[in-house]
Amino acid sequence: MAEPVSTATGPAVSPEPAQAAVAPLPAAERRRPGALLVTGGTIVALVVVVAVVSFFWTPWSTIYTDVLHWHAGPGTAGHLLGTDIRGRDVASLLMAGAQTTLYVGLLAVGIAAVVGTPLGILAGMTSRRWTEVILRITDLWLAFPALLLALTFATIWKSSLTSAMIAIGVATIPSFIRVVRSGTVVVMSSDYVQAARVAGRRGPAIAVRHVLPNVMGLVIVQVSVAYAIAILAEAALSYLGLGAGPTTPSWGRMLFENSSLLQAGYPVVLLWPGLAVALAVLGFNLLGDGLRDRLDPRLVGR
Amino acid sequence: MTLRRPRALLALLVGAAVAVSACSAGSSVAGTSSSSSSSSSSASSSSAGAGGSSAGGATSGSSGGSGSSGTSSAAPVSDASLSIGFILEPTSLDFTQADGAAIPQVMLTNVYETLVKLDQKGDIVPSLAEKYDVSADRKTYTFTLRSGVKFSNGTPMTADDVKFSFDRVTTAWKPAIKAEMGVVASTTVVSPTVVEVTLKQPSNSWLFDITGRVGAVFSKTGVADLATKPIGTGPYVFQTWNRGDSIVLQRNDAYWGQKPDVKTVTFKYFKDPSAMNSALLTGGIQVVSTEQTPETLGQFKDTSKYQIVQGATDGEVMMTMNDGKAPLSDVRVRQAINYALDKQAILQGAWSGYGTVIGSHESPNDPWFVDLANKYPHDVAKAKELLAAAGQSNLTLNLTLPPVPYATAAAPIIVSQLQEAGITVKASDVTFPVWLDQVFGKADYDLTIINHVEPRDIATLWANPQYYTRYDNKEVQQLLAAGDAGTQEQYVADYKKAVGILADDAAAAWLWSFPNLMVADANVKGLPKNLVGEAFVLSDLSVA
Amino acid sequence: MAWQIVRRLLIFVGSVLVASLAVFWLLSGIGDPARVQLGTGATEEGVRQLREQMGLNRPFFTRYLEWLGGTLHGDFGSSYISHAAIGPQLADRLSVTLWLVLGAMVLSVVVALPLGMLAALWHRRWAGTLISGITQLGVAVPAFLVGILLIALFAVRLGWLPSGSYVVPAQDPGGFLEHMILPWLSLGLVQAAVLTRYVRTAVLDQMGQDYLRTARAKGLTPWQALLRHGLRNAAIPVLTVLGVQLVTILVGAVVVEQVFVIPGIGQWLVDSVGNQDLLTVQAIVITLVAIALAVSFVVDVLYTLVDPRLRHG
Repeated sequence: MAEPVSTATGPAVSPEPAQAAVAPLPAAERRRPGALLVTGGTIVALVVVVAVVSFFWTPWSTIYTDVLHWHAGPGTAGHLLGTDIRGRDVASLLMAGAQTTLYVGLLAVGIAAVVGTPLGILAGMTSRRWTEVILRITDLWLAFPALLLALTFATIWKSSLTSAMIAIGVATIPSFIRVVRSGTVVVMSSDYVQAARVAGRRGPAIAVRHVLPNVMGLVIVQVSVAYAIAILAEAALSYLGLGAGPTTPSWGRMLFENSSLLQAGYPVVLLWPGLAVALAVLGFNLLGDGLRDRLDPRLVGR
Repeated sequence: MTLRRPRALLALLVGAAVAVSACSAGSSVAGTSSSSSSSSSSASSSSAGAGGSSAGGATSGSSGGSGSSGTSSAAPVSDASLSIGFILEPTSLDFTQADGAAIPQVMLTNVYETLVKLDQKGDIVPSLAEKYDVSADRKTYTFTLRSGVKFSNGTPMTADDVKFSFDRVTTAWKPAIKAEMGVVASTTVVSPTVVEVTLKQPSNSWLFDITGRVGAVFSKTGVADLATKPIGTGPYVFQTWNRGDSIVLQRNDAYWGQKPDVKTVTFKYFKDPSAMNSALLTGGIQVVSTEQTPETLGQFKDTSKYQIVQGATDGEVMMTMNDGKAPLSDVRVRQAINYALDKQAILQGAWSGYGTVIGSHESPNDPWFVDLANKYPHDVAKAKELLAAAGQSNLTLNLTLPPVPYATAAAPIIVSQLQEAGITVKASDVTFPVWLDQVFGKADYDLTIINHVEPRDIATLWANPQYYTRYDNKEVQQLLAAGDAGTQEQYVADYKKAVGILADDAAAAWLWSFPNLMVADANVKGLPKNLVGEAFVLSDLSVA
Repeated sequence: MAWQIVRRLLIFVGSVLVASLAVFWLLSGIGDPARVQLGTGATEEGVRQLREQMGLNRPFFTRYLEWLGGTLHGDFGSSYISHAAIGPQLADRLSVTLWLVLGAMVLSVVVALPLGMLAALWHRRWAGTLISGITQLGVAVPAFLVGILLIALFAVRLGWLPSGSYVVPAQDPGGFLEHMILPWLSLGLVQAAVLTRYVRTAVLDQMGQDYLRTARAKGLTPWQALLRHGLRNAAIPVLTVLGVQLVTILVGAVVVEQVFVIPGIGQWLVDSVGNQDLLTVQAIVITLVAIALAVSFVVDVLYTLVDPRLRHG
């Protein structure tokens, strides 16, 4: 039982997919789920707090360019972490970048959860034939990773944060379908659903009354995991110059705009946004793992 | 219609996108004096040559550097080869059918030659024509052709080929640049070595124009397959094109003039500027023809291994404003924007200070150049004042950016500086096709940043109200038209005046004159300091 | 079992067809190649004519079948932008990317297998915990950040290795290796972190099984027991992950090629997206998707072969 979710869908379908660089992690840390939850929760909370604070205050304006200090080192002229290639304050950009990160994740994961959850429940409740069809489609869908789909969308429409978010969201839908379906199957075989059926409750009523509340935990776990994927995908896209626009503070965009400094011998400007991305991804990953460990025994073991 | 018509801008702009490419104007002062002498002296030969190498003997095959006038046969010739890195790959080899500055960059002067050409100083000097005369009314040009010139298919070049080539521009060419030949009334073969071209009205720009693509001389029997089998008279012949990667030219051993030193030249194409730099560092190429990340030049500071060539191109990097649309149709708003910008800081921050700040549509090489860099000194208070007077104290503008390094680099600094003057700028990146369609095609924009690379393109941009600048000023239109048709003195005087009016009107925010910035292995000799004309001239190169 | 494999093959072929239809619909149905090609100065009349000329006015399915037919022969058409044939370039670029991907894959397996087994065997010791902690961090770091860090250290600071570009292996094997070490590390290390975690879990699961306890009761050391009996069973979940990883690395290569300026399929894709080169993007996307589907097909087949339960199921 390396991966509870995939085994629940049965070995007949292809393996649980992973996208971008984060595969769903094996739930190997059961001994101390609290530690994961606390660490992950703290990091995520930190990102949220920074994002909120940056709404009202950043040390410098994020568009101000200090024409006397191009890519200056940390501590120069009141710039805590220095300035970037165009003289903007790195610390301020990092703070405001947290907003973009959260915003992108929210929209992308929102799309995926809102579309994927009902489809997953449907797949778990319908006849075998339909289940098979839905699972085949999700299999196929999974062959379009978020980044690839986002690049495709950027070709057809103007590349923008919005098209990127939609693409990432659409690409993440199947992972929700699978997770929710496997949870639904478990719930559907439970005594109380059987009882409700005998009592003449119809499908939609069962879905809303019994299935949805019970798979909600799984959805939340998946939201956390998908959030990490979305953050990575946004960073990658913006780094390629196909995500956040020129005046949108974004960690990926910072990497893009400052990339020539690597050859020029000032790599430090690139480290900050890189570390920010890694930290946020780590936070959501840990949070997801921690939550899953909390939920799994009850749901899967039922 | 005396003006040059709007040119094929796709070409121009694709070129602009890469910022370098061909074009850079002839340098002015010299060009002016020589051609003015030619026009004033009525009948007799005005071979406008450098160093008086006018008519007769001089096989002025290579201008500038390599002491040209020697006899070709005795010249020592090496078997050296050279790979040169470029950004923009041609879409075709045939510039009679496809547009884009990348085609003449490879083919012109190297494979195809023109009757007259630009030398390193921008002077118009004889090439396939041994000399040319201009009539008193400045409408008739008589070219005396060099004898003994052969095309690479073996046929000799005659006056018939010249007439065929000139006529073909208006009848068979596709790119809009063919309009440059629109001023020609007729081309007549006088003898196998003499061609007479009559213009509809005098035009100063025409002779300059035929140093470019439209002046290329093709073989009457060799245009069947220009896209894959180019046939010209030049010092190089086309060998192979590995699409997506490189084009190889081979020395033409039957060349009529001074044979070039380098035997094989590879034009190697890189989409990514840092990939091109890496290739130079790792020996994949010997020359970076255009440095697009000047902040990384430090990695080539070892002068025993590398050389950095700095000169001028004719490109003007400008923040174009939509002059036809409120609120930018208000001259006070445009002036305010110019006052709000600290152009020296922009040049420093965006392009590491390489280049020259300019204040109007001109290159330091243009004959009509006036230093207007300080026309609008950085003055935020003045900017705010003008905005208030225009009733635009709370202004929001869109800045649409094509995917070119200088625009990406300059935009953040501009946004910041305009913000300080109270103008909120919403910047967005677009792909090049979108930029061409939306900004260049439909003029659906407020502000954009682009490098206009074509030589002497002032009339193209500012005399045509339909152009995407949407600038409509009758006085400028008349000045540019009259200048083109007038004498040399009038040409320069009128253009100077037009340049001044453009600055007064703040028709755009000109930022800097784009530098010719090349990096090469230290042993490569003969690299042009200034990029002159549409071609990347190979004949002067050698490897020590 | 033969039926199982045939069934999977059919599913695979069907999936590729449906995927190609989806890709074609997105890029040639929604996108308008004629307008993109004309770019500036595109008049409605001009666009209409070009659509006619390019055969874009024919029914969607006719065009799709034509494209599909060409694709099956390796003819992907010519780019609307450069007019170059796409097929040969695709092969060139893909070979570059495959070197990158395979190297990274090998690296990640070589690192992850022993590390994961050690982490499992030592799971009660601090060393095991340390490995787990490091992998947890490794999973969070994007490959391109690893690339940037590696360049900063080994190319910029120490000057030991080149910061980028590509050397054809046939021309200069030494130079090729020198240029590929950092890209392989950036892609491979991140995937090694992911893989290590799976290996650890799989081995831990096996160690709890009765047959291993029996083996140990017969006097084998934990290592011997594991190597002799446990690996085959642990291989099943790991195999699954490897398939997923191959696809992940392939997509990750898009970004890493940008960092190291490697002229692979990913860099080409990004360039083509920037140029709105619809047909080229179409060719690249369907190629990558087909590879992803093929990998999952192969994994499924191996799965069927390895797993005794499925063999008789």
